[in-house]
Amino acid sequence: MGRVLFQRGWVVTEDARAPELRDVLVENGRIAGVDPHIEVDAATPVIDCNEKFLVPGLFDMHVHLREPGREDKETLETGTEAAVNGGITGILAMPNTEPAIDTGGMVRFVLNLARERSRIPVYTAGCVSRGRAGRELAEIGDMVEKGAVMITDDGDPVSDARLLRRAMEYSRNFKLLIGSHAEVRELSEGGVVNEGAVSYKLGLPGIPSASEEIAIDRDLRIAQWTRARIHIHHVSASGSIEIIRRFKQQGLPVSCEVTPHHLIFCDKDIVDYNTNLKMNPPLRRDEDRARLLEGLKEGVIDCIATDHAPHTTYEKNEDYCSAPFGIIGLETALLSLYTHLIKTERLSWGRLASAFSSNPRKLLGLDPVSIRRGNRADFLVFDPQKKTRVDRAFLKSKSCNTPFLGKDLDGSVELVTVSGQIVLDRTKDGRNRVTCSSK
Amino acid sequence: MKKTPKMKFSRKDLLDIESLSSDEIRLILDTAKPFKDLFTRSVKKVPPLKGKTVLLLFYEPSTRTRTSFEIAAKRLSADVANFAVSTSSVVKGESILDTIATLQSMNVDFIVVRHSVSGVPNLIARQTSASVINAGDGFHAHPTQALLDASTLDEIFDDLRAKKILIVGDILHSRVARSTSRCLHYLGMKTAVFGAGTLIPSSVPPHLTVFDQFDEAMRWKPDVIYLLRLQLERQKANFFPSMREYHSVFGITRERFRQISDEGIYIMHPGPVNRGVELIDEVMDYDRCLINRQVENGIAVRMSVLYLLHLAVDEKTPAVAQAS
Repeated sequence: MGRVLFQRGWVVTEDARAPELRDVLVENGRIAGVDPHIEVDAATPVIDCNEKFLVPGLFDMHVHLREPGREDKETLETGTEAAVNGGITGILAMPNTEPAIDTGGMVRFVLNLARERSRIPVYTAGCVSRGRAGRELAEIGDMVEKGAVMITDDGDPVSDARLLRRAMEYSRNFKLLIGSHAEVRELSEGGVVNEGAVSYKLGLPGIPSASEEIAIDRDLRIAQWTRARIHIHHVSASGSIEIIRRFKQQGLPVSCEVTPHHLIFCDKDIVDYNTNLKMNPPLRRDEDRARLLEGLKEGVIDCIATDHAPHTTYEKNEDYCSAPFGIIGLETALLSLYTHLIKTERLSWGRLASAFSSNPRKLLGLDPVSIRRGNRADFLVFDPQKKTRVDRAFLKSKSCNTPFLGKDLDGSVELVTVSGQIVLDRTKDGRNRVTCSSK
Repeated sequence: MKKTPKMKFSRKDLLDIESLSSDEIRLILDTAKPFKDLFTRSVKKVPPLKGKTVLLLFYEPSTRTRTSFEIAAKRLSADVANFAVSTSSVVKGESILDTIATLQSMNVDFIVVRHSVSGVPNLIARQTSASVINAGDGFHAHPTQALLDASTLDEIFDDLRAKKILIVGDILHSRVARSTSRCLHYLGMKTAVFGAGTLIPSSVPPHLTVFDQFDEAMRWKPDVIYLLRLQLERQKANFFPSMREYHSVFGITRERFRQISDEGIYIMHPGPVNRGVELIDEVMDYDRCLINRQVENGIAVRMSVLYLLHLAVDEKTPAVAQAS
């Protein structure tokens, strides 16, 4: 595809207050022009966006692809297809596979697999410690050389403070971002829901917010004195926001992310022991949720990331304590954020674009894909008038452990382009039944 | 004051106390009374559940509750089957849903379930057309225990409203504390808890007053003290340092028992009792110790629950058939 004109779309940018109606010309995989009106010759194909939104391609910096090891839950291919289905044009894979991505060879394996199987760019994080065991440093230098863009033991905290210190000092040589899954295991062990009124009501063992807050405080203190670049995964508690804000004010290069589900749900939503609302960190109180949204708006929270965690239905059908933590999110992230926050004007398109597209790319040193002349043409067409039914026919992920299963969400990702190539066109995708809204 | 509300019971399952209305609780208690009157007769059996099958699905060891349900079902002329699941087979690999599919195919009418994880009765109830009765799940709920406790106090007091009950012991890990306190709260009683700080939940609902000291709790003038069974293995997880210390700080010691009997405070316990831990021996012979009465009422209340669920389900079945 040489040249295509996307006509009359509301272009979402991370700086503009509100989206503006523009024509976008794509030429040779790049954006050749963004203007109120662009004339093209008759030979140039035109896609009429008819006042739909043009959103920069999203980047999800927290994805569990499960390959290698649990290909029954997800593979690199199904995971990246799920990303495309949700308007996500770049992902960072977490290294807690089986075996873990803890060597240069494993990093190369993932990136080679991505080259063969993925239609979107895939990046990977490597482990902090060998086998994620939290005892000895993994070969961080080798992993960086092979292409790892972050180190993290995500899924588990680095409980040993001395090992964390070494990892942070060592990662400085590679200007590497170190990810922190912040949790004091001694306080959270055995817990399955937020500790508070809801854990009392459900009679389930609790995970206190302090487990996260103490770990964040500890990790940031170590990062401050080792001058490391640190990124806090999936922040869930209001106290965490205050701690991160304080360190940011002191100039520490700290960033953090929040998941769509922590912005949308709270622990009171766990009714009838629905294991599709069981994740780690757990859904916190309504107050925490409100504080996370404020933190995102104020910029204390830098990124939105899904923590896409596929699990089989039979595992999720276990009792609440035995069922694994985590839900899938790639395909519902944008739709659910639109339905619950953007449509109700509690979050702006601009903030979504910065937190879910430009900020994660910036943190990982990747090219921006803002819809601007000269940038790579990675964007999606979002139709706010349509609805999407989240069912097995819609989901491209191998798993369907999402609280949105069987529900309708507002909006629809109609078209996705990566480097000017159309990787999803809903109108031509017969497998997907997209029901229109009744109006 | 205790007039029977003119209402019907229309549930398939009894999973917790929280979702019951005080009228429904009152109906269960009132329905239990005529059943209890049967117990003094030489023939204690009545026919309402003839031809029905009650399955006892106990994933956790239990003697008292299981036997109580078995006697209740048999006194209603139901057939009783035991599906004994050893604790070891609950470990990963054995799916609860697979078990339920099997039970569903056996066409039982009632499933009485106990499980160590909260929410399992809810999970089962969603998957079966049988009536599910929760006989205790994790720390969540033990509704028939709460109802038998309420029925016992209802016999003692003319009016439960404004009467005070102090629940003592391991509140954190107790489904009995959760269900009984809520049930009695719904019936108008004032409820409070006292126990080791490690065994009090960090967050309790507003109807529960928390006392940190025994003397302070006694000054609140409770009418009833409800002792919970202490799981002795909690000591290993550092919830308290030793049995000896637990008894002297949180148990009914000789000195406390004197005060309790002086003030005429009733004593309750869900059993089985750890003598010398929750209470000293003498408490068991105290004339205001209601423990044996709780057991007796347990059978009547469970008969009442089985009977009311049976009526509710039986009434619905022909209605559905007519509609279709």
